[in-house]
Amino acid sequence: MTVPLAARVRTLIRLVSLQASWTYERMQGVGLGVATEPLLEPLTDADHARAARGRSVQYFNAHPYLGGIAAGALARAELDHEPGERILRLRTALSGPLGALGDQLVWAGVVPATMAGLLVAQVWRGGVLAIVAVVIAYNLGRLLMTAWGLQVGLAHGLHVAHAVSASWLPRAAAWAGAAAAVLVGAAAPIAGAWFLRDTGYGDRTLALGLATALIFGLAGLRRRVPAIAFTLAAAGLVVLWRWSAA
Amino acid sequence: MSDLPWLGLFVWGTIAGLDQVSVLQGLLSRPLVAGAAAGAILGDLESGLRIGAVLELFALDVLPVGAARYPDYGGATVAAVALAAGGPWQLMLGPAALLGLLVASLGGWSLVIHRRITAWGLHRHAGALDRGDPGVARRVHELGLVFDLCRSGIMAAIGLFGVVALRTAGPPLDLPTARALALVVIIGGLAAMVGGALRRAGTLRRVGWLLGGALAGVAGAMLR
Repeated sequence: MTVPLAARVRTLIRLVSLQASWTYERMQGVGLGVATEPLLEPLTDADHARAARGRSVQYFNAHPYLGGIAAGALARAELDHEPGERILRLRTALSGPLGALGDQLVWAGVVPATMAGLLVAQVWRGGVLAIVAVVIAYNLGRLLMTAWGLQVGLAHGLHVAHAVSASWLPRAAAWAGAAAAVLVGAAAPIAGAWFLRDTGYGDRTLALGLATALIFGLAGLRRRVPAIAFTLAAAGLVVLWRWSAA
Repeated sequence: MSDLPWLGLFVWGTIAGLDQVSVLQGLLSRPLVAGAAAGAILGDLESGLRIGAVLELFALDVLPVGAARYPDYGGATVAAVALAAGGPWQLMLGPAALLGLLVASLGGWSLVIHRRITAWGLHRHAGALDRGDPGVARRVHELGLVFDLCRSGIMAAIGLFGVVALRTAGPPLDLPTARALALVVIIGGLAAMVGGALRRAGTLRRVGWLLGGALAGVAGAMLR
């Protein structure tokens, strides 16, 4: 059974809001079900279509950009009349790997690398134009990645895991992580100097600030130290000190 | 107080908040992006970029995965920029960033509430969902979307009320206090950024990349 292009486009649009109905119980399950709906339209048997819809809203969680892979693979399995149990097993099996891979590639790689790069660009007067260009490029890439995933899922069905592991994704995740490390590492002293010098502090304050940040970061390796809470507490102490000195 | 484009700020804050989880997740809720746009709306790009950048240091600590509760910087950044706009950013950096951090933390809790309200809607339709009744999944999904739109709007409004409250509260901070608060948020932001990078690094090899980047960054900072 082939899926019409219009149905693929509708699924792609729905995948953009995959997480809108996120809950602790089914996580992205309902969102994935809604996104998969157009792909299941070629099912002509009413009972099969109903059972497929019921399966499509069960528990699921992955990286939102890679939801297309699952939507495509699960829809292909339904269209090929695979047994329901196998489809549900695939659904569960895809959750962990697609989540881990996407988190590694996007949240821990591309996003910090992009934002650190933009921070450095601001120091050298990149301005709003750089931000607009990067946001447009990023979102084009994000949509292309989801569309690619949908294509791969529809093409491979139950065998999608092998197709994904043999694709560019795992290698890209490793590279994105390295790029993020380099760019965030570079951005910290550059952004620190940019802020501290322009607020009237000297290089000694910068060195002390970076040392404090490093100690704080190392201390947080064993158990996470909430930077926001510490900052708010320190600011509260500053205000108290100034108030008492007045 | 009426000189600020409140409606534009509210709409942008709501859009940025919606981008955080429900729709697109396309960097619009990142503080640097949200701050730059808010600065453009306010006609004060410098403040928008600076406040957005300092909050971005904190946001680089966040890994927005699955069920985790993480700060919502969309509407928070818009409010922070609105507080700083029109004055010298150096003096407003501290108070504006602190307002942003408070609203962002509150926004993190609002995400949990949103998930629970959506779960309530899901429970009401669980039977029909599992039976595969047509149209039910879409209704539950749209419910979640509308709730998140409301959540984002409420967070943007809370942030902007904070701006009104702080602007009418009294005279601006004296110079030493403003400078001390700026120092606190800059170092706090750097600590968050470095902490996040070290945790993400994971392997010794990546720590090596991080150190290499940091050395290049120190050279870059000296050259500037």
